[in-house]
Amino acid sequence: MLPRLRHRKTHRRLISDSRGFSSIVGAIFAVLVMFSLISTVFVWSLSQNTLYNNTVRQSNEADLDRSSEKVQVFNTTYNAYSNGNVTVSAQIQNTGPSSVQFITAWLYVSNASWNNYNWCKLTNASVQGGSVFTLNVNLTVSGLNSTYTHSFASWLITARGNVVSLQRTIVYGNNIIVSQTTQGIGSISMDFKQSRYYDFGSGYVSNGTSLPSSKNSYTIPNSNNTILAVLLTNYDNTTQDIILNANSYLWIITPQAGTVKPAAWNIANVTNGKYINSFSTQTLQYGKPTIVYFGPSSPSFASSALPTVVPVFILLFGKIGTNDFGQNIPFIAFYISS
Amino acid sequence: MRSIISKVLKNRRAISPVIANLILIAAVIGVGFAALVWAQSQSSGYTTQYGSVISSDISQLQERVVFEYIYYDSAKNNLTVYLMNSGTIGNVGVSAVYVDNTPNSTIALRLLSTGAPASSLNSTQEGYFSISTILAPGKDHPIKIVTRRGSTFVATVAT
Repeated sequence: MLPRLRHRKTHRRLISDSRGFSSIVGAIFAVLVMFSLISTVFVWSLSQNTLYNNTVRQSNEADLDRSSEKVQVFNTTYNAYSNGNVTVSAQIQNTGPSSVQFITAWLYVSNASWNNYNWCKLTNASVQGGSVFTLNVNLTVSGLNSTYTHSFASWLITARGNVVSLQRTIVYGNNIIVSQTTQGIGSISMDFKQSRYYDFGSGYVSNGTSLPSSKNSYTIPNSNNTILAVLLTNYDNTTQDIILNANSYLWIITPQAGTVKPAAWNIANVTNGKYINSFSTQTLQYGKPTIVYFGPSSPSFASSALPTVVPVFILLFGKIGTNDFGQNIPFIAFYISS
Repeated sequence: MRSIISKVLKNRRAISPVIANLILIAAVIGVGFAALVWAQSQSSGYTTQYGSVISSDISQLQERVVFEYIYYDSAKNNLTVYLMNSGTIGNVGVSAVYVDNTPNSTIALRLLSTGAPASSLNSTQEGYFSISTILAPGKDHPIKIVTRRGSTFVATVAT
């Protein structure tokens, strides 16, 4: 028999036999129901996964956009005024491929004993790639006294969430900006207006003695024990900290003929307003105005030499990094009263 | 036709297989329907659960919070944290803040622009909150915030 004829015969027999038909129909129906159920869930979960993957992609793109924001800041200047107003100016170039929108400017001002901050919203501060933006904002920082030396730091927040720091600057009282003192008069500079002394009278100054009220004067009593305080700032251009050791002194010498006698105040440890009679080192952090104490001691000149005006020398010695550091600040004069 | 029906009704031998078949069909349909309803409820529960997990994950992925500034007032033992929602999703609320791994769950969030209390921050909105805490001087202190969606963001403040 030919295979074609055999196949036709088998097919006719199957069609004519109606006994197994219902099982086949039922099975097909069950499979269809199962398929429709499973495929619905499968397609739905596929759509959810697509949604999730799209979100991951968008999130990665946002992170990429954020990390591709690049700006360079030039010529940051701070001008402080007597009413606490500060003008922050800077040139900001967008060196990245995408535009950058600045939304907020922050300003932090500090000196040795005080700090405060403020912020302001920026409008129309969107910078296209390659363009230069001129920042010029006015902020009021309550408690700021423009006659004192302050350290200024400011930063901008972009809409994508980046923080752009502007250059830190030290502004001396009355807006004298000091930036390159290292090659000029030395790494450490002194704020003359912040010099003061603490008068303990003629008594012995023991360990743990609290400092009395300070006197902001250049007139020093001859016989009383005093602790002298000066405000120093480390401007070394390597930005390293300077560590002063016990070989640092403040000393004076009388120019009166026949009465030459030096007097020295050793560098001192004053912690939490109390004199501590042991000193190891004192660190002058870069750019941070720091009070350095000397004493207790007294000039104790001969009465025949009094009153007199004497030159004051602040001898500072220690380490900067692994190297020795030494500087003499000679710009002060004291009037020694009798 | 009438004669056929009366013949079928009179022929008692044929009734029992018909009834049996009917019962069988009813049982199969009932069990099948029950299985279908059960399968549908199971798949519906699965899709609801999976959908909420995916939705939560998507929302969490879109959250970004930037620390604009952290200020510690050592005189008042007060820590102020300034934030910005830099993500693409709004309604970002702070549920807990950990300072030096110590949790604070009472967070009074305020808008930076107005100072008004806010329960959450929308996209690019800035806000702040203050916490009364004592931080040891001369150390770095980790600040971790946890959003209501469960995202965490960490910054450090030096005292």
